[in-house]
Formats: sequence, structure tokens, C-alpha cells
Amino acid sequence: MSEKRVEPSSAPVQQHMGLKASRAISNTAIYVLLVIISVIWLIPFVCIVLQSFRVESTWQVGYVIPQKWGLDNYRNLLQTDFTRWYLNTFIIALITAVLQTVIVLCMSYTLSRFRFKMRGPLMRFMLILGMFPGMLTMIILYRVLKDLGMTQENAVPGLILVYIASSGMGYYVSKGFFDTIPKSLDEAARVDGATRLQVLYKIILPLSKPIVIYTILTAFMGPWGDFVFARYISFGASAGKNVAVGLYDWLSKDQINKSYTMFCAGGVLVALPVTILFMCLQRYYVEGVTGGAVKG
Amino acid sequence: MKKLLAIVLALVMAIGMMPVATADGLAGTYDIKVWVANEIVDLTKQQIEDFNATNTEGITFNATIEAVGEGDAATQMVTDVEAGGDIFCFAQDQFARLVQAGALAKLGTRAQQTVQESTDADAVAAVTTADGNMFAYPLTADNGYFMYYDNTVIPEEDIDSLEALIADCEKAQKNFAFEMQSSAWYLASFFFGTGCISQWNADDSGVFTEVHDTFNSDKGLIAVKGMQKLVTSPYHVSSSEASAFANGAAIVVTGTWASKDIEAILGDHMGVADLPSFEVDGQSYHLGSFFGFKLMGVKPQVDPAKAAALHLLAQYLTGEKCSLERHTAKGWGPANLAAQANEEVANDPILKAVYEQKKYGVVQGAIHGSWWDIAKVIGEEVKVATSDEDLKAALQNYEDKMVSLFDLDTSALLFVGAWNGWNNADDTDTFYFKKGDDGSYTLTLDVPESDYMGGRIVNPGSWDTDKGFAQVTTGADLVKDLGADNPDNNIVFAAPGNYTVTWTGSEVTIIQN
Amino acid sequence: MANLTDLEYLRLNRWNRFIYRFSHFFTEKLPNGLKNFFVGTGRRIAGAAKKVGAECVDIWSTFVNGDWKTKLSFLVMGFGNLARGQILRGILFLLFEIVFIFYMVTTGAYWLSMLPSLGLQGPSKEYDPIYDTEITIPHDNSFKILLYGVLTIFFIIAFIYTWRVNVRQNKLAEQILKSGKKLRSGREDLRSMVDDQFHKTLLALPLTGIIIFTVLPIVFMILVAFTNYDGAHNGYSNALFSWVGWKNFDTMLNWSNNSGTQSYSATFGEVLTWTLIWAFFATFTNYFLGMFVAMAINKKGIKLKKVWRTILVLTIAIPQFISLLYVSKMFAKDGILNGFLLSMGWISQAIDFWGDTANNGLLARIMVIVINIWIGIPYLMLIVTGILMNIPADLYESARIDGANAWQQYTKITLPYMLFITGPYLLTSFTGNMNNFNVIYLLTGGAPTNAAASSAAGAVGFTDLLITWLFKITTGAGNYYYLASVVGILVFVVVAVISLIVYNVLPSIKNEEDFQ
Repeated sequence: MSEKRVEPSSAPVQQHMGLKASRAISNTAIYVLLVIISVIWLIPFVCIVLQSFRVESTWQVGYVIPQKWGLDNYRNLLQTDFTRWYLNTFIIALITAVLQTVIVLCMSYTLSRFRFKMRGPLMRFMLILGMFPGMLTMIILYRVLKDLGMTQENAVPGLILVYIASSGMGYYVSKGFFDTIPKSLDEAARVDGATRLQVLYKIILPLSKPIVIYTILTAFMGPWGDFVFARYISFGASAGKNVAVGLYDWLSKDQINKSYTMFCAGGVLVALPVTILFMCLQRYYVEGVTGGAVKG
Repeated sequence: MKKLLAIVLALVMAIGMMPVATADGLAGTYDIKVWVANEIVDLTKQQIEDFNATNTEGITFNATIEAVGEGDAATQMVTDVEAGGDIFCFAQDQFARLVQAGALAKLGTRAQQTVQESTDADAVAAVTTADGNMFAYPLTADNGYFMYYDNTVIPEEDIDSLEALIADCEKAQKNFAFEMQSSAWYLASFFFGTGCISQWNADDSGVFTEVHDTFNSDKGLIAVKGMQKLVTSPYHVSSSEASAFANGAAIVVTGTWASKDIEAILGDHMGVADLPSFEVDGQSYHLGSFFGFKLMGVKPQVDPAKAAALHLLAQYLTGEKCSLERHTAKGWGPANLAAQANEEVANDPILKAVYEQKKYGVVQGAIHGSWWDIAKVIGEEVKVATSDEDLKAALQNYEDKMVSLFDLDTSALLFVGAWNGWNNADDTDTFYFKKGDDGSYTLTLDVPESDYMGGRIVNPGSWDTDKGFAQVTTGADLVKDLGADNPDNNIVFAAPGNYTVTWTGSEVTIIQN
Repeated sequence: MANLTDLEYLRLNRWNRFIYRFSHFFTEKLPNGLKNFFVGTGRRIAGAAKKVGAECVDIWSTFVNGDWKTKLSFLVMGFGNLARGQILRGILFLLFEIVFIFYMVTTGAYWLSMLPSLGLQGPSKEYDPIYDTEITIPHDNSFKILLYGVLTIFFIIAFIYTWRVNVRQNKLAEQILKSGKKLRSGREDLRSMVDDQFHKTLLALPLTGIIIFTVLPIVFMILVAFTNYDGAHNGYSNALFSWVGWKNFDTMLNWSNNSGTQSYSATFGEVLTWTLIWAFFATFTNYFLGMFVAMAINKKGIKLKKVWRTILVLTIAIPQFISLLYVSKMFAKDGILNGFLLSMGWISQAIDFWGDTANNGLLARIMVIVINIWIGIPYLMLIVTGILMNIPADLYESARIDGANAWQQYTKITLPYMLFITGPYLLTSFTGNMNNFNVIYLLTGGAPTNAAASSAAGAVGFTDLLITWLFKITTGAGNYYYLASVVGILVFVVVAVISLIVYNVLPSIKNEEDFQ
């Protein structure tokens, strides 16, 4: 969807003065509403940032503005394993982003472009698989990874493997995108003697920049928020934790009073790069979710 | 030549088979994983280094120390014993669950003796199974709760009365924090205060064999009436966090672990005392409490040398020196007797309050993990209760769930004892049978000296009484013959004592222990 | 309801059409569908049997009619290929056979033989008098037996399939050579992998991943429901677990459990009801409010569109475990919100958002739906913005000329268009919300506790969804994995049934080829 499309209400210019006035009133009402919404949306984030600079106490308090400001929480963060967790997560996110994109594109391109005997049954099968709650399969994945030596301290490759291996299921959005690229392009190239592989990387991929970026972006953001499965795989070993697991444990009953403000500081540091990246690539994300929703 | 060789060989074999002095056998370097609470990670690291430097066996541990809290450790261990810490700490209530999961190694004879001699007697009981074997080392003896208060709000003379404390809080518009809505551990305080009990016994494999529970009784009703006074106060908050003081509380019931945080908030205004008493129908009951221990366990090993070395390390870490170091650094109350006798520990005001409350406390034995979930909802129910009937319903609900718990685990069969005749609801006790592998049900019970000393075997829910006296085949001499006039198959014991009753489906066997 | 002709159907208004479709589904489509399913299944089984028979005949005739190279290939896979000069294929076949035989002999046979019993000997404990210590020696491991047993069966199926391909290729090769043509060389084989067989190349890696990391675990999970795998039978460090048949389904679904307490089926019913209520509200509050916000931002004359959008999408950008955990703490009894309200004097005592059990935890239930709006609106806003731009502007223009006001434009143009386009999305969003673990787990953890429904398998809360309940069962005191598996299977059934109904009632399930 390009941004240049006609907006829905850009109808002929209104001549009537009365209508203009009523539009002004309704626009004012909308501005008020948008400001209220924005405030509600921002409050939690503003609070996290403010609390991360609070140094007079480390537990939950009933006020927002710190009585004493300082960087102690950030400094204390560096005394913990936080840097290690951060690095782990970053490595996982980076590698996952690349490999998951490859897998998803392979899958969705094939299902969009090829008509082979097993295509229908395969898609139905994956639809059915997707209806099973993934929660329980965690136990089995843990054992499989353990036998491969990829748990606890070595959780990072294990997590990457699982994220990538099951990513083929999430082909819907990009298949929807490939479906919109006219097939006549492929056929023309095939007539000229190009192999299927050449069609893919010479014709389709250059046209698919938005969906590739969307896939990379979502694949990169996923690992930052995984706290259930990652916790299972790291199994008590600090060296194998990601940020979500590490920070989540800080809010556990026996640590929250010592680590609450540190959690906020860690949260800020985690949210920062992800948010910046997201904001920069927002346009592609919008195209992805819109396309995905419309094309199912 | 051949003969000589044979002799040499025989000698070598004989030496090999002789019990070698452990000194040689244990020397070596072992890679181990140790799980302790976050706050003592550094301290433990230092202590293990000290052990490496000072032990005379030539043991060197190459230890990885991970911060896995006492609450989390048991859950993790049960999930995957193989991957768990070789040495780990856990709260006592998880003991049976861990034994059952095969996550704890049995202590050797000498280790058992050492623990027996050097440790608090209650703590020793806490690491011993019904079969008399020890499976862990007591680490601390301070896992109980008592009252912290803000002495600018609470006058000294009120600290013995729950009613006065509630009134003080309401007057000052300050909160009374006592975790009644989400924790059975705190909630049991009222029940223990009126003399209710919930005793669980587990065997060596960690399976619960019996439970003796009197929460659903007249005493229990008094307890929930007292609880109702507190939880219906608008200033009651269900919390045990130190931070409650920072958020408007004047009283927080919690344990030693919160002392440093509370001191930081209240400073000189911090007061510490045992729990107050409450009054129902003109009679006063001092609030009870759970008292528990933190334990250190060794994971079962395949290599005997490593196992023995780990047990030595665990003994060292729970010994006098390390216990004192933990008290100095973090205020943890030791389970080790020598450390308890240390002057610094004995004069610690917080530990004093702990031990004062311990007099009214119930030592936390092995408890079925589901009990916590079953019991904690009483607080919720009491809060919304509007009549005595509601309170009774809450207790009945509790008992029903206890029964269903056994239904799931062992298939329930109850023995209801009515020690002073069936009209005295007061003196009814319910015992749960354990289902054995052969399909028979067994239970051991104490019959008190009383007028009636009888009971009946029933199926929960249906209350069928078709099994009982008519089927007593062995031990008929131990029970009174009620003749034909016994439609409910009641079994009435001839004398008080401890009996084991077995029901096989068609026969009842009674043995006096 | 009688069957309507097309014309009669078209005469109905929109609402009646929907009613018709809905009831039609239950009175006509479902019974017919079921009938067709069973008849079809019967036919399919018969067809499959026929196919297997034909395959066997074909294999036999290949053997009888084939030359010695083909015959030997029955035993030594790829021999025919090698003998006929297709070195690459031959080597691959042979290698696969060698790996398979090696695997079966070394470990596969053990796993397979143990599968019916799930292990014979549990761990043994021995007292070592020399070291005065007890050691534990593990033996069989039920978990591994089940896992690798299933994997071995997968492997055997793959082997049989490959063997069949090997036989067929020999037959083909023989025919091709007989007709005087040349066989494909290894080089040509490689080229076909990126050309006419390209789809196989592309799917190989993703499908392998899905089979090992999605299919295998799901098969395992289903099998666990038929065992007694729990904390007391963990399969290696205490007792082994074993097959128990349908017992666990009986425990979960049986209405009475012989004691005064609530049965699992009643608890399941309660949790399921709330799960459906939650999914309904979570989906539709987000849908309509998201649409409203999107339309407000996109209204002509509203400036700073980008700024408003950017502020809203913050909740997508920031990982949920930070934002939701933080919000959960904000609403805690000692959290910032209560602190603020108290200091303002607007309330006299803290509101227990997550702990109030009045009216089945109504307050907490409303709160999670409200906070979910905070999380969900931005997605909808983005989607709706994209779709709004696609509505032909002349539709609105002509509507305005006809004198339609804004509300009429919305109900007559925007909403129908939107519902039509986003029908499938609404369905996936509904089922997604049913399994929305993050929001519930991070916000409330299921609290407040549902006193009556808490069972031996762990506490259940009023805001618990089936998925969080399932998680609690596995991590609860007894680790009743088998019960969790049963719940997992039931979740699948519920989701599948809902999807089936909706797919049949929704008007906008379109042929996917239409997009091209």
C-alpha cells in the first residue's frame, strides 16, 4: 500500500460555511481525544524511564517523580550479568533475523508460486498444526536441545535453532505478498530460459523489499520478548539467559525489592534499540501487517 | 613364578576390595554446579574456595555458582533432575516433593550422625523422612514470620492484641499488611493459633501416606472468625513485602529476609515483636505460625567419590563457620547449634523475635505441594463471607479438596474417628488411608483416651459404611464387640494407643503398634 | 429451516442472511459435512488400501520383470543407479540405507522395542560402603524412549518411502534405457534442483525443521495424554511412566469425581467459558476502537498524523514482557495508580485490581480486557489505515451527494467493506486471543484465585485462560503433564471447531487465486 493513495474523505471541497464550522468542531474534539489517548499510551513508558533514574529506594513506590535522581541503577546493571544477557539476546536476534527470513521466504515463495501435488494438503496440514497450543511442546524441545548439548550455558544456539526451525509455519504474510506479484513476470523470464532459482533472485526478490524487511524486523524483535521458552532452555544458568528471562527473574518475589528500579533501567535499555529500529522501519511493518490481515 | 603371580594378583585384589581410607579416595578435581539464593552467591563462592584451600582430603571443586532462589530451585529440579545443581538450597516445604522426584541423595551413615549431633533438633526432623532417613542438610532455622511495626504509629502496649492493632491502624489510616489472600503459609497462622493441625507424612519415596488435618472443625471456625476481623478491615492489605512500609503500612507480618529493607525504610522507628493474640467469644488465642528451615540438598550422583565429596562440601557449607558468615553478612539465622550459641547470633533482636514466635509456631513438616493452593483460598472466602454458614462452607470446601487430593494421588478411604461418641462434633478426627501397590489401604492412627474411642471406615462423598467392623479378621481382640446392633460397622477400640489399620477389600486387619 | 433458493436468499436482509447461514450450518452443512466426512473417510480408506495393493503389485512386477541390477537394488538401495551410471543418485540412496541400518542396529531397535512398555527398569539406588554414600544408577528413561521411539517410527516411514522411490526409479531407468533414451546425469539432476524440482529444494529445509521441531513435539504431546507422566513418574530419576489408555480423558471430562469438590470437567467448563468471553471482547473491543482511532487519525484536516501513529505503535515496538509487567505492577495494590488515587484523596483505600474476587473476579477480568485494548489498538489502527485507503473514494462521494451523514457513511460503506475484507483476520485474531498467553500471564498470572475451582493439579484463577491453566498444571506442585496434554488436545478441538463453524458462516472466504 503506497502512501500516495487518495484518502477516503478527500471529497470535493466543501462549499458550505456551516459544514466547515462543524468540521472544525469535530476536528477539535478529535484532537482532544488524540491527546488523551497519547497521554494514556505514553504514561507507562514515561514512568519506566523516570523510575529507572530513581535512586532513593529500589522497590515499588506510590509516586512517579524520583526524589533523588541518578544513574545508580544503570551503573548497578553493569555489575550484574545483564551485559551478558544483552549480548546473548542480540546475537540470537541477529542470526534469527537472517536465517528465519531465508526460511520464511523459501516457504512462502514456494507455496505462492508452485503448484505441486502436495501443496494443498501441506497447507491444510500446517493450518491444523497451528491450532495446537505450543506451550506443552516446550518440554520436548527442551529435551531434544539437551541431547544436542544446547541448553543451560549453551542455550544461545539452541534458541536460535528452535526459532528458525519452526519459523516455516509463519509463511502467511509473505505468501500473501508474493501472491500480489503478477505471475506473468515469472513466465516471461521462464520463456527467456531462466531457471526457477534465477527467477527468484533476479525478478521476485528485487520486488519484495518491503516484505523482506518486514520479515527481518519481526524476526529480530521476537527473541527480545521470549521469557517462557528461553527460561526453560537456559534452566538456571545465568550465562544462557536472554534479557527477558534475566529481567523477569528480577521481579520474582525474593528479588523485587532489590531489583525493581534496576528492572526499569534494564527495560529502558532493551526497549531503546528495538524501538528505534522499529520506528525507522515502521513503513514496512505497516505494509506487512496490513497485507497479512487482508490476504489472510 | 605362576604361584608368585597368583599371590601378587590376590594381594592386589584384596587391597582393592578393602575399604580404603576416604582420604585417598576423594582426592581430585570435581566440576560442580551450585544453586544458591542471589544474595549469597558471592559469599558461597568465597566459602567454596575456602573449602578447597582447607580440606584435608585433597578435594578441589571447580564450582559454577548460579543464582537460583530457594523458591525456584525445587521447581527446576523437579523439571529436570539431570540438569539441576549438584548442590542446591530449597525451602523445607519442598522436601517431600524433591525426595519423590529423586532429586535428593540420601545421607551416608556418618553424615547422618554429624547432622544429628550438630543441628537444631527440629531441623533434623525436617530433613528426615517417615522411614527415618535423612535427605538434606539444614541450612537456616529462621524461616518463620513475625511482626514488624512502625513504633510511631503503634504504641508498645497494643502489640499483644490483634483487635487493638487493627484499631490503631484504622485510626491512623495506615495499612496492616498480613498476606491472607494469596498465601497459605501466612494464613495458617490463625488456624495454628486455635490449635488446629495439618500434619502430613511421607515415606522414603516421597509419597504422602497420611494426613491428619483438623482445619474443618469448631476450632477452625474460631480461627476463621478471628481472620475475618482482620481481612474485613479496610486497612488490611495482603502483602508480606518490606515495601509495604513505604506504601502506607504501619504493620507488616513477614520474615527475617525483609529486615534489612525494613530497617532502611523505618530506621529507628522499626519495632519487632511476635504475633499478637485475637479474641473470639471472650477467649484469647495467640496467633501461631509456620516455622521452617531452609535446607541444602545434594543431587544423586553416579560417581561415589564425587557424591562423597559433595556431601562433605554440603556439611562444610552448613557448618558453624559458614553459618556464622551468612549471619554476619545477611542476617540469616543458623540451624547449626554451635553457631546458634554464638553471642552475636544469640543477641540478634530479630532472631529473638523469631524464636519468641517459634514458641507458638508449628514446625513445618513435609507438606503436599497442592496444599498451598488448596488452603490459600480460605482467605478469599473469609473476606466475602457474610455469615457463619459462609465460614463453615469455606472450611468444608477446603476439606473436600483435601479429600479430592488424595483421590487423585492414592484413591481415598477415610477413617472417621469420633472419640467421645458421634454427637460430639468437636472430637471428630478424619484420617486418610494410603493405597498400597497391592490395592489394599493402610493407615496409622493415634486413638486418644476418651469415652468412646471409635470410628468407621467410609468412602468420601458417598459415605458408604459397608467396610469396617464386620470384616475385622485380624486383631478382633483389640476392638470392642458391639454385637448385632452395629449397622454402621463402627470400630471401637478397647484401649487408647497407636494402631495400624489395613483394609484389603474384604478384610480388615488391626495391629497395635 | 427450509433450504432457500438463491433468489429467496438474496431477498433477505443482511441480518437474516447471517441467521440463515448460521442455522443452515447446523441443520444442513454440519450433518451433511459429517456424513460426507465419514463416507469420504471410508472411501478414502478403501482408496488407500487399493493404492497400497497397487503399489505392492507394482513392486512385485518390478522385481519379477526387472534385470539383475534392479533385483539387487531391492536389497542394496541405489545399486541400479550406480550400475547404470547415475553415480550421484546411487551414492545418496546407498548412503541413506547405510545410515538407516546403522541407526537401527545401534539404537533404533532399542527405542522401538521399549516403546510398548516405556521402559522396564527405573533407577536403582545403591549404598557404597567404601565412601559411605548412596549412589543412583539410572537405567531406562521413559521420556527418551517415547521421544526417540516416535522419531524412529518417523525414520522408518521415511526409509520405506525412500526404498519405494528407489524401486520405482529402477523401473523407470530400465524402461528409459530400453526405449533407447539416455538417463539424466548427476549434473542434470543438480540443475533440476534449482529448476523444475526447485520447490523441493526450497521446502526441504523448512519442512525438516517443522517435522522435527513442531510435528514431533505435537505427536509426543498427544501421546503423553495417554500416559501417567507427572512429577511422581518423571521417567528417569524416580519412577518410569507407562501407558494408561483413556484414563486421563476420563479424569478430565468426567462430570462427577466421587467427592464433594468441583470436578475437572466443571473447572474446564468455567475456564473455557471465560476464555471464549475474553477472546470475544479482546477481539471486538480492539477491532472497533482500533477502527475508530484509525478513522480519527486519518480524518481530513487532522495534522501530525505521523506523530499520533508513532505514539500508538510504541506498544508494538516495546517487548511485552517489559510493558505488560510494568503495567501489571502499576495496577498492583501498592502500585503507582493506587498511590496516586490515594494521595489525591479520591479513594480511601487501595483498589485491589488483581485480587478482588467479587463477582467471579469481575474487576480483574474487565481490567485485562481494558489493558489489552492498550496493546491491541495499534495493530488494528495500522491494518485499518491500510484498508481505509483502499476504499474507493467515489463511494463516499456518491453517498454524500445522496445526503448520507457521517454515521450512515460508516454503517453503509466503511463497516461492511471492513468486515468483508477482515473476516479471516477476525477469525485468526479470535483464536489468537484464546491462546493469548502473554497478556494474561504477565498481567495477572491468572489472579484472583478461583477458590471453588482450584484442584489438586494447582490453583486456577478467574482470569486464567485454557492456555495459562495448562501452563500452571505443568509447573504446579504435581507436574501433571498428562492432564496438561489432555487440556492441550481439548484446546485444539475447541479452536478447530470454532474455525470450522466460522469458515462456513463467513461470507468472505475467497478463493486464494482471486488475488492474482
